[in-house]
Amino acid sequence: MNISTSDVILLAHAAFGVTGCLAALWVFVEALNAQSGNAARIRAAALMTALSMAAAWICGGYWYVHFYPAEKAVILMGPWPFAHNLFMETKEHLFLITGILAFLLPVVAREKLYPNAVARKLVLAVAALIVITGLAVEGAGAVIEHGAKVALLRGGLKGDR
Amino acid sequence: MNSATAPELPKLTAVSSGFVLAAAITALFNTALAWARDAYAPLNGILKSLTGNPWIAHCLADLVLFAGLGFVFAKTRAAEKIDPSRLIGALIAAVAIAALGLVLWFAFV
Repeated sequence: MNISTSDVILLAHAAFGVTGCLAALWVFVEALNAQSGNAARIRAAALMTALSMAAAWICGGYWYVHFYPAEKAVILMGPWPFAHNLFMETKEHLFLITGILAFLLPVVAREKLYPNAVARKLVLAVAALIVITGLAVEGAGAVIEHGAKVALLRGGLKGDR
Repeated sequence: MNSATAPELPKLTAVSSGFVLAAAITALFNTALAWARDAYAPLNGILKSLTGNPWIAHCLADLVLFAGLGFVFAKTRAAEKIDPSRLIGALIAAVAIAALGLVLWFAFV
């Protein structure tokens, strides 16, 4: 088995991102049934969302700065250059919005949701936005990796022809 | 929910409303900065000179803006004056516009 540091960091990035999305979904479901009894669970899940997204941000950022340039060159010479030009360019900026929303979630989850309908609505909205943008970013990550894969396996690199 | 035993509190705290408004502004700023970096290459050089990589500077700008505006809005209670439902609508609209703005820009420009 030959697992490089690059592989570990990239997979950790995706795993933390999925964990953050699941934690935000957990907040959403708990907030739908907000009671005095689940207030602590909502705050814990909101904190888990922020911590997971921060870890995904750090791992993804480190990988992007140190390892992505080589993969970008491969993608751009392959049959799916849009995997970088559209999907990576969008993902690397859209993720920052997901991250900001993830940091916002523990702040708004400090509200007393049980007696406050508008606070519940706010937590539901923030959690839903994290899940939607987070899943879009995860999907974009899959397209980017596939862009590198088809460059190496299917079409070959333009530079090789 | 047992609304009979708990009175409704239709307001948000100054901290929540302040950071929600800060997040909405930061989402739009994030997309505007992405457009500017893509349209005007020298900006990337300036950002690179600050942190070694323009994307890292972009991240830091977003985080500083979100935290800075959040603390200012919370302290001054500026966002508390906005109707909470409008504030939630503004956040959703800002994220939708910012996300769509990124996709359309990198797809067609």
